[in-house]
Amino acid sequence: MKGCNTYHFRESVSILLRTKWVGPYLLIPPMLAFMVYAEAFLAAHGAGGMAAFGNRMVLAVWNASFLLALVAGIKSCLFFSGCWGSDWFRNSMALPVSRSSGYWGPYLAVLTVSTAVFILTVGAVVAALPGTARFSMTHLIGQAYLPVAWAVSMGAFLGILTTGTGAAVFFSALLLLGFASGLPSISVPEWMLYLIPPLGRLMTRGMEYPQGLYVSIGLAGHAAFFSMLGRILYGAALRRR
Amino acid sequence: MPPYISIGGYSDPPRMSHLSVEVNKGEIVVVTGPPGSGKSNLIKSMAGIRRFIRGSIRILGARAGTLRSRQGVVFVFQNWNFSPDLSVRIQLERKVGLYLGVPARAVRLTVDRWSEDLGLRDSLDFYPSQLNRSDLQLLSLAPLALGRPAVAVLDEPMANLSSVGVSMAMDLVLPVIGNGAVLALAQGRSPLVNRADRVLSLL
Repeated sequence: MKGCNTYHFRESVSILLRTKWVGPYLLIPPMLAFMVYAEAFLAAHGAGGMAAFGNRMVLAVWNASFLLALVAGIKSCLFFSGCWGSDWFRNSMALPVSRSSGYWGPYLAVLTVSTAVFILTVGAVVAALPGTARFSMTHLIGQAYLPVAWAVSMGAFLGILTTGTGAAVFFSALLLLGFASGLPSISVPEWMLYLIPPLGRLMTRGMEYPQGLYVSIGLAGHAAFFSMLGRILYGAALRRR
Repeated sequence: MPPYISIGGYSDPPRMSHLSVEVNKGEIVVVTGPPGSGKSNLIKSMAGIRRFIRGSIRILGARAGTLRSRQGVVFVFQNWNFSPDLSVRIQLERKVGLYLGVPARAVRLTVDRWSEDLGLRDSLDFYPSQLNRSDLQLLSLAPLALGRPAVAVLDEPMANLSSVGVSMAMDLVLPVIGNGAVLALAQGRSPLVNRADRVLSLL
């Protein structure tokens, strides 16, 4: 039956393109501009740690990645929780559509919108700031995209697990911990490194070989694991009594 | 020809007496019961969105909940099944398109004409929260009227309607019988009871 597997994707994209869902993305350009100028100011006044990133463009790409992961993750938590927890969505599973599309449709819709915003944001950064010969741009952008995809996956898992607000608070804490744990000045117990997403390590060591590759695979695995776990919970929740 | 709907030894909630019924092509069967007797549980079990306690349900020969048991089957729930975030038009066009196997834009004219006949053409561009219950109830019957279903399962389809609305809804429900079978769940006073081939009671 034509369209039976894209029904929820199209419904979700239509909802996500409404102002209340697109609006938060508009916060990213001013926040990014503020961060880039603040970091340039700090670097000019002796904050030597910034030099580790090569140049302002690389730092700005990571700032964009962090901000977008934060916004996309919070939005995912709120959207997925509201969507999968609602009566209209549950009843829509009586339509002749596959059950899996009820999970992967909204998931792909959020991922698509977040990816589009990531491309626009990183494209603007790359166009506006001077580049560097130290790193491959494709490699850098590919790695900077991973936290965004991870944020959507984690949002899907948390969104089905709890309320939108609770999921968003937990997600924000996990994101901050994930980024902070990779910074050289912050030490976390070794056992925690297996639980929290290696976002910070990806940022600081992503360009090293082979460590960067391992960290990338670790983060992609973390995202895949939680998106599959979300799918299992969704299946169980759908046929609850 | 196997029955279009076959329910055997179904019971949910547990205090409910076992329900066994077969609905064949061209039949309309009404299951009545007071609020809380398990009517909404039954439609959800038939749609595969509720795990029921005991019994078996088959629709068009397929076990309830499978994709095959939902193809060509329209479920109309008591609470209309509209998303609050999209206009009624988008939702109706997509649902009707889904049943007919065509893109939503291909059924735009059909949905327009159908809603015009009901006097609800202007309501299509509103969000569900902006419409009254009676209009929403009638509009939620679009997949039933336009989707050419083989089976229709309806939960209190006339509950929120005025007498004019009831007559309109009857005109939408009854043609389905020519093509398939209808199982309606309703309280005893529903006008569908008068047109039913069989009436069963949930007690």
